[in-house]
Amino acid sequence: MRKLFLQSLVIVASFFMTWLLVSRVDWMDIFNVRENTNRLERKLGDLYWEFFNKTEKEILDHEIVTPLDQLLSALCEANNIPRDEIKLHIVDREEINAFALPDNHIVVFSGLIRESENEAELCGVLAHELAHLELGHLMRKLVREVGLSVLISMSAGSGSPGMIKQAMQVLTSSAFDRQLERDADQKAVQYLVNTKLHPEGLANFLYKMSTTENRIPDQLFWLSTHPGGEERAMDILKEAEGMTIEEEKILSDDAWDELQAQLEEL
Amino acid sequence: MRFHATFDYVPAEHEAERASNSYLMSLIAVMAGLPLPIINLIATLIFFLGNRKGTYFVRWHCTQALLSQLSLLMINTVSFWWTVSILFRDGVVTNPYISYMITVVLFNLIELIATIYTAIETRKGHHVAWWFYGDLTDMICKK
Repeated sequence: MRKLFLQSLVIVASFFMTWLLVSRVDWMDIFNVRENTNRLERKLGDLYWEFFNKTEKEILDHEIVTPLDQLLSALCEANNIPRDEIKLHIVDREEINAFALPDNHIVVFSGLIRESENEAELCGVLAHELAHLELGHLMRKLVREVGLSVLISMSAGSGSPGMIKQAMQVLTSSAFDRQLERDADQKAVQYLVNTKLHPEGLANFLYKMSTTENRIPDQLFWLSTHPGGEERAMDILKEAEGMTIEEEKILSDDAWDELQAQLEEL
Repeated sequence: MRFHATFDYVPAEHEAERASNSYLMSLIAVMAGLPLPIINLIATLIFFLGNRKGTYFVRWHCTQALLSQLSLLMINTVSFWWTVSILFRDGVVTNPYISYMITVVLFNLIELIATIYTAIETRKGHHVAWWFYGDLTDMICKK
């Protein structure tokens, strides 16, 4: 019996030892997995943005793009994220929405900027979307809801417009699961603290959205894709509790007011 | 593996054929059930149950074939569900995953070669007891 026990241990150990030894080799490099994944993401990102850009009006006004760019740059710089890899798009739409697309696209609707009371709130939303990108949530969500085979056929150019539209809706108007949201919130808190911004901004925005949900439901897209606002706001505040943050503004009050004024003129 | 290990008696022709078939059964099942590891086990189990009243030589080899499938079932099941989770949940292929799959293929290959060899030898009436599985079978299979 003892002999059998030892033999079984040897078999189990030899399996795990082999696994350990085999994993010393960088198979991801040998099989070009990273490169192929990046290529797929790049193609999907281009496809999505092209499709979205056809129907929406992107805001390119210097007075609006520059402040947004400053906020995103500050977040990226403080968190060692290469800014030039993030493609920021501002879209002229009343809906309160912002979302990330594959290949590091972040899309912000003008309605969401208008709804933000200060830069901390807007940065909170940007940090949250940045966290989704950095944590690789988009591809996970797409694979889960659209399917890997559909994504590959779309990237190969054989996807129908209906298929692309449906896959687009997954990212723009369907929710991430709660765990992914929690992870993105936690990461966003880190990003904000590193940028010397109080995470309260993100919490306030989420709380505000959840309390106005019943008032103008059609416009609150960001809430429908990011559910559980009130509870998540509390979690963010709890996480930020006890943190000493030397807050520093990125934009001056005048620059913020100017941004809001420019949006009103649209 | 103990090649040509001694057995209590010299098996008759029909016994050698049945014992050899138990290994062939697991081989055919491997081919049919590659994506679903449970099929291998079920096929071997059916053959085992069908021969549980057979002669000692036949029962012994059916048991060894069944036991060898059990450990493969475990590692193959993990690889199956890990692959499913990548295809339908995460979409992220990692180095540990690729390494695991290579290890699983390696162990399946060793088992395949051992099974083919044992099927051939038992068909000739030779007794082949595998390391660990042979001792385990000795303990489980009573005369």
